[in-house]
Amino acid sequence: MNTEVVAGKTASKWKLSLDTWAVLVAFLLALLVRTGVLKHVPW
Amino acid sequence: MADAITVPQVQPVQPALRFLRVIPGIFLLAAVGYAGKLLEQNVGAYAKAHHWTFPNIEYVLWAIVLGLVISNTVGVPAIFRTGVATYEFWLKAGIVLLGARFLLGDILKLGGVSLILVAIEIVGSLTFMTFLGRLFKLKPKLTTLLAVGSAVCGVSAIIATKGAIEADDEDSSFSIAAILALGALALFTFPVIGHFLHLSDKAYGLWAGLGVDNTAEATAAGALYSDAAGKLAVLVKSTRNAMIGFVVLAYAIYWAGKGQAQQVGNKAAFLWQKFPKFVLGFLIISVLATYHFFSKDQVGALANLSRWAFLLTFAGVGLRTNFSEMRKQGLRPFAVGAIGELAIAGFTLGLVYGASKIFGW
Repeated sequence: MNTEVVAGKTASKWKLSLDTWAVLVAFLLALLVRTGVLKHVPW
Repeated sequence: MADAITVPQVQPVQPALRFLRVIPGIFLLAAVGYAGKLLEQNVGAYAKAHHWTFPNIEYVLWAIVLGLVISNTVGVPAIFRTGVATYEFWLKAGIVLLGARFLLGDILKLGGVSLILVAIEIVGSLTFMTFLGRLFKLKPKLTTLLAVGSAVCGVSAIIATKGAIEADDEDSSFSIAAILALGALALFTFPVIGHFLHLSDKAYGLWAGLGVDNTAEATAAGALYSDAAGKLAVLVKSTRNAMIGFVVLAYAIYWAGKGQAQQVGNKAAFLWQKFPKFVLGFLIISVLATYHFFSKDQVGALANLSRWAFLLTFAGVGLRTNFSEMRKQGLRPFAVGAIGELAIAGFTLGLVYGASKIFGW
């Protein structure tokens, strides 16, 4: 006998993974550096 | 006929609230990481001023050790835990930004060599770990999780495989604990062995990328040796990570064939879902840097942003490692993991040694 699990409506089709968020944040930082908003990052 | 079970609808946590919850932990990561950086600068200078013989300990090690001390003495209070868990996020963002320090030609040259070594490592590790699991009479799905964890990319691979082969929570907890404990050991033993064998930065970076399972530990083990070794370890480890989809797909088909997991529908969609997107991000930033989208100063700024992201990661590696929690998971899976990791470390060292003779590194 198969058991089918019907998920509630909370699961969003467009929910981004941690990986994707990390890439988006990194791209945003790269864009800020490229456009000169972040000019100097000390270390 | 199928029985339908309706999962009760869980009230979603407001995004703003979720964001607020991570802030204390991120501050703790930053505080521990920055303390590591200050210790690196000041302890060496203090020892020199007082004519003491003291090894130059990098911020990487200080941050990890400080995190380990907090985690294994007072523990990490609940308010910080959600934020501390973001260290994986900082790791991935740091790897993407690190792409600015790689020219596409280097990636193709090194990536080609590492791809061959990674393929040999994955096949060898999966075969050996499966053999060990059978020898120690571990549950077959636990063996699969341990094999994937040590052959591909540690915790992420175990989590991805767990879902695909429908393994028990207990099996995945065992495997994750074993991989994390062994990763912590590798972090301290790999640099010592590398220095003992006088490995070049290139050879060591390749070895750390091939032999250390978890991406955070592989990055830290590489950075502990040298900056160049750290860069290469990240590249090789990312190549291993890129293989995750293929390995998980193969295991999903295998267990579905035995009737113990769901059939895989669209294989291309499955591969894309499992593919680590940060590897793609790393390549895109590297292509942009290669074609001078960023000036020299901007590449320097991106490299420093990547260092700050790794600083948070290394603090997180220490803070999330709790040895008493790991002990609770039992000895047998740990023993299988330890024997397997030892063999894989030796095997990958042999591979790197052979490659360094062929390519004259």
